[in-house]
Amino acid sequence: MSPSVNSPSLYRRLLIWLLVPMLALGTLMLIQAYLASRDTADRAFDRLLESASLSIAEQVKRQQGQLWMDLPPAALKMLASNAEERVFYALYDAHDNFISGNAELPRIDDGQGNMRFTNIQWHDMSLRLGVRRSQLEGWRDRQPFEVRVAHTREGREALTQTLFQGSMLRLIAMAILAIGVVLLGVRMALMPLTQLRRAIRARDPRTLAPLDLTLPRELAELRETLNDLLARMRRVRANQERFIGDASHQLRTPLAGLSARAELALRQDDPRAWHDALGVMRGSADKTARLASQLLSLTRLNNPESMPEARDIDLCDIARQAVRDALTSCHRAGIDLGVETPSHAVIQHAVQWQLAEALANLIDNASRYGASRITVRVGEAPTRLEVEDNGPGIPEAQRLLVLRPFHRGMEGGQGSGLGLAIVDGITRAHAARLTLVPARPNAEPPGLRVRLHFTEESTP
Amino acid sequence: MTTPCRLPVHWAVALAGMMLSAMALANDAHVLRYAAAHEATAQPLEIYGALDNDLMAPLLADFHARYPDIELTYRNLTTLTLYRRFLAEDEASADVVMSSAMPWQYQLANRGHAQALTTSAARQWPQASRWRHELFGFTFEPVVIVYRRDALEGATPPDSHETLLRLLTNERQRLKGRVVTYDPWRSGAGYTYATEDAHMSPRYWELVAALGGVEAALADTTGEMLDGLADGRYAVGYNLLGSYARDFVADHPQLEMVIPSDYALVTQRLVLIPKRARHPEAAKRFVDYLLSRQGQQVIRDKTPLGAVHTALQGEGTARDLRKTLGGAIHPIAIDPSLLATLDTLKRHSLLERWQREYTRLSESGP
Repeated sequence: MSPSVNSPSLYRRLLIWLLVPMLALGTLMLIQAYLASRDTADRAFDRLLESASLSIAEQVKRQQGQLWMDLPPAALKMLASNAEERVFYALYDAHDNFISGNAELPRIDDGQGNMRFTNIQWHDMSLRLGVRRSQLEGWRDRQPFEVRVAHTREGREALTQTLFQGSMLRLIAMAILAIGVVLLGVRMALMPLTQLRRAIRARDPRTLAPLDLTLPRELAELRETLNDLLARMRRVRANQERFIGDASHQLRTPLAGLSARAELALRQDDPRAWHDALGVMRGSADKTARLASQLLSLTRLNNPESMPEARDIDLCDIARQAVRDALTSCHRAGIDLGVETPSHAVIQHAVQWQLAEALANLIDNASRYGASRITVRVGEAPTRLEVEDNGPGIPEAQRLLVLRPFHRGMEGGQGSGLGLAIVDGITRAHAARLTLVPARPNAEPPGLRVRLHFTEESTP
Repeated sequence: MTTPCRLPVHWAVALAGMMLSAMALANDAHVLRYAAAHEATAQPLEIYGALDNDLMAPLLADFHARYPDIELTYRNLTTLTLYRRFLAEDEASADVVMSSAMPWQYQLANRGHAQALTTSAARQWPQASRWRHELFGFTFEPVVIVYRRDALEGATPPDSHETLLRLLTNERQRLKGRVVTYDPWRSGAGYTYATEDAHMSPRYWELVAALGGVEAALADTTGEMLDGLADGRYAVGYNLLGSYARDFVADHPQLEMVIPSDYALVTQRLVLIPKRARHPEAAKRFVDYLLSRQGQQVIRDKTPLGAVHTALQGEGTARDLRKTLGGAIHPIAIDPSLLATLDTLKRHSLLERWQREYTRLSESGP
């Protein structure tokens, strides 16, 4: 498969998961850097408010029963930096009465200490306000008062910008470095994957030998899984090769027989002999045709790509039909063929032709291996199909072997050796269980009962 | 002029009036109008200024010649009226406000009443003569000493604060009642100069005491002092506005004008464009013109106000004064310390001290 454009790339996914959080983190750091810069600038400029208010407070005296001050011009100059801030100051007494100043500034109620700072909006201006609480250090009265100073934020903003630009440049440099490292790291981490892909692609397509490649732990697991799959494929191929070998051998034998028989008949001049020979040849051809059709069934069963259509069917119908189909040939061979079904339908989800094939094979098998009485039975709880005969049966040691293709239970028998293999294949396809047991364990011959148990999950 | 002797309580009430009066020579409001060349495309522009019409006229005429589409109205007001009008919210605002009352102009700009001007002329304006881009000092006027040659015969004429103090001390009897200076109580300019003088040197108080010693007369305006000097009532005038004195002295040969060589205060007229200006475009054009080389050239050539533009030289320009006087030139800084001048308590403290020093010698003296 070629990598499609839409399929998610591992590389891209890794990059997204690494870079998106990194960018989010970077943004957070930028915000933090800005806040820190502003804080630093505020603290630096708050010192100006502090010293200006102090130098004003030092000039506050009591004169003629009133608060009095000789405003030092330097204190106001102090409030303005190079940014030429607008400056405001005011002196208030203990009862919040305006004594003097160029603006009526608000007080700050919350906060602690003698010096308090806050940001205020005042007549469409953003101001930083500093309020100093102080008191007269006289001999007699110690009257408290407040010096309030404020200025606009231009200087603070300029300093914030300068500081922030510095941190921003550093952050950007770090981000570029980090992105580079991430790109490199992801590429390096995904390198073994590329190695694996190359190793697989470079292989001879017919080779099923295990991959031998040093890989990191996570990929080593994948390699082991691949090797397991390859091992299974090797076994499957061996089976297939053997099956093909067996099948060609089986087909060659009757064809060779046909050819020999025809040659023998050709040497004779007696039409009767020709007639006999043709009769034998027809029987041989029939047998070969049957073998070929069985091989075809087996192939169809073993083909993993085929998806037969299953539906709910009545097992009794299947059993009766199978008996009807086999009745003529059994009658000719003098075999007693019977069917036992419950009076009602037994429904099972299954593939009809496969079950019919299985029953036909079982009846055929029994009739070929010397049974004189065959019974087809449908049972319930669990749902099952049975074919029972009174033939010689199969010794216990042989019971698994007979399920393999081309294994005949008995030398010299007339079967192709595929019947039980086909039944086994059908049973597997239905996820049912196949059991082979003697019909009458203590009698001689013991006979054979072949049973298909359908289980809960029995659907093809 | 009598020695002012007021109770401190009084001036808290009468404060604004006392501070702001007499900054301009003419108190009565005059109006100058320049009609637009074409009525249809006329852009109105209203300028309020505390500058005499005859000083403004050449500037306005030149501006009008350059921008004939602007319908120009110039209203000459006192600094007090100017300030009051500005703060009266319901009054329609002027487009340009010019005043020599530096602290008040600064106060207005500081409160955010001015809008910024960022033309190239404004950006290149000397840092010392502007505040932000809202307030521009467009004139350069030294504060000077003027004396009568005939009255000081035999004595060393004053050329600095130092020599003036010596003269007042040495010639105390001869100069009694014949020295004149600004009344810091009544004149805003006088108060501003006193603040700056006191800031420059503590010896200023000796000078005040000496002025008290000769029972110096106290005047409200430079014009008043010049008139007194011209008709011989006074022999020496201290802290006169150089821009007015220069032309006047040139017309009166018996008078001599001296820019003090130890330090010379320089005052500047400050112009601003109010935020509430109704015609900001025309206003910006006018202020830009004031700061431009052409406008400054008119100021240099046709008024005694003194051009600030760094490229201009010639008599009375900032460049010339800086060259002749060097470090002694001391322009009143356009910075927050101007606000301190406006502080009521500060004003009281300073004037009280001034009063004390002024009366020191006369009470204990011979």
